[in-house]
Amino acid sequence: MYWLTSEQLELLIKKLGEEYKIFGPRHDRVSGEVIFDHLTDLSELDLQAAIPYNPPRFILFPHLEEILKYRYEPETKQARIEQLNLLEPKALIGLRSCDLTGLLCLDRFFLGQEFVDEFYLAHRKKLFIISNTCLRPFPQCFCVCTDSGPAAKEGFDLDLTLAGRGYLVEAGSKKGQALIDEFKLPEAGPEASVLKKKIIDDSVSSFDRWALENKAWISRATNRLTTGFIKPEVWEYIGNQCFECGACSFVCPTCSCFNIEEANQESGETNRLRTWDSCSFEGYTKMAGDNNPRKPVEDRRNKRFFCKLSYSQSKKYLRPGCVGCGRCARVCPGDIGLPNVVTYIRREITGEAGE
Amino acid sequence: MDKNLVPITSVPEIATIVDIRDEINEVKSFYFTFDRPEIEQAFKIRSGQFIMCTVFKAGEFAVSLPFSPENDPKHLSVRRVGKVTAGLHQLEPGDKIGVRGPFGNGFPFEEIKGKNIIYVAGGIGLIPLRSSIVHVLQHRQDFGRVILVYGAKSSKELMYKESVKEWQATENFETHFTIDRSEPGWSGEVGFVNQLTAKLDLPVEETVAFVCGPPVMFNAVIKELKLKGIKEQNIYSTLERHMKCGIGKCQHCAIGRTLVCVDGPVYTYRQIRTLGEQI
Repeated sequence: MYWLTSEQLELLIKKLGEEYKIFGPRHDRVSGEVIFDHLTDLSELDLQAAIPYNPPRFILFPHLEEILKYRYEPETKQARIEQLNLLEPKALIGLRSCDLTGLLCLDRFFLGQEFVDEFYLAHRKKLFIISNTCLRPFPQCFCVCTDSGPAAKEGFDLDLTLAGRGYLVEAGSKKGQALIDEFKLPEAGPEASVLKKKIIDDSVSSFDRWALENKAWISRATNRLTTGFIKPEVWEYIGNQCFECGACSFVCPTCSCFNIEEANQESGETNRLRTWDSCSFEGYTKMAGDNNPRKPVEDRRNKRFFCKLSYSQSKKYLRPGCVGCGRCARVCPGDIGLPNVVTYIRREITGEAGE
Repeated sequence: MDKNLVPITSVPEIATIVDIRDEINEVKSFYFTFDRPEIEQAFKIRSGQFIMCTVFKAGEFAVSLPFSPENDPKHLSVRRVGKVTAGLHQLEPGDKIGVRGPFGNGFPFEEIKGKNIIYVAGGIGLIPLRSSIVHVLQHRQDFGRVILVYGAKSSKELMYKESVKEWQATENFETHFTIDRSEPGWSGEVGFVNQLTAKLDLPVEETVAFVCGPPVMFNAVIKELKLKGIKEQNIYSTLERHMKCGIGKCQHCAIGRTLVCVDGPVYTYRQIRTLGEQI
């Protein structure tokens, strides 16, 4: 472990900026929210800002992305397909451990299954990640329940923990170590590990009681979901609160569903676009000829929670699909963010009455 | 996975439609060849797999492959049902399409050598089964009894009339046809496929059944096959879903814990029963 001053950190990020496009948390003046965004002005970076309202997955898996371009001329019967170059080095600064965990889930899903997603791979190939330990949880957080925080364990190039006026830095890769060596950062003594552990312990102990209590219940809910022992009434209760807005999917660090559409341009060119999609939308499974195998909203809703918590899905991520960021609970206009769904399942198990 | 079967995953390969044949009402077969000779040479499939077919300017759709992996011209048989298939139906010989794939697991072939095979199809359900039928007939000596039970609403709605004629003349291939209502000039059976299935003397031991057709027909046929004693794990079918990527990423084709594009499209009935979703 090494020590890093704020001034050195600034220089280090500037240095990364020579090679990478820099992304990080900043305050958005219009909305008043903290957003994880491309930083054109590095002074906007705020590592102490609250958890951003959006996870960083849009950097590797954009909301809307042109994945192919083609021109087809029916008169001459000529087709020309153009592949796009999506490779661009990017540095993600100040990633919270939940978001880093989410990114690792996406890595395992897009790159680790039978097929590799070439578009995701292009974005992922040149990435520099600096994670940032959460000194205290934010009101929505429950990463202690999902083993994804408050400090990062893997997947970073550099990991920062604010300790007093400086940062404790750990390298997680050769790239990260090279940067530490380049800046000749002073090594922190053995007491640094003790200090970091204390900082993390303090952070864990300041989680809300509901988050700490949910810890055991998430694994019990996982068990129930996997084995299919949740009564249809519980799903109906949950489904009745779903507005089918898709917000939960769009703020989730691990949601990966997408749609593909062709957009014909006046120029005669066609763009093949890939856009985020959500399993809560009715048209999600609708086939040509209007045959839709999934109809009622509760049928679609339970698929999302199955995807986040079931063992079979966890096999793809090598961990649960939920990283405890609490964003779904924050944006849901109903009351069915993941923590509440776990609560409803808990009530079913214990037979306790709702509030 | 067979190392020779490297699918085209992200950028479609351009192919030319060389011939179009009318099959039945709203269903046409499109014969195609790849523009790049090396792809034309390397493109290999297993029976029961599917491709993602790009109709330029209209979109891309998942479609099962009706041709045999060996010595059978490449073609697709497609019913006009939506926007993209309507676009395909407007094409003429010489027009281009894009192809990604082949994807999916396919029907068992090596594993079922020596066994009896019963094919049961309803309507255009014969399309995905055709590949396996032709392939099995090409290796007829490797299998036991081979039986086709095929039904459609009317004689006009029977797919692949040319192939069917050939099959009827093929020795050691038992074919049974039925239509829903009697017609002048029809000498075959009349009634639903499940009724015909019930009447036939079918093998049970060392037997696999491949069933494909609309859900109502499917469920009724499964019931008959089970009554005869054919085990659920020996009954295969191929499922269809809305698909966007074909490579297990977009998740549109999720059924239960499986994805039709990589875990299917061929499932045993035992799997289908435990998916926890309607098919």
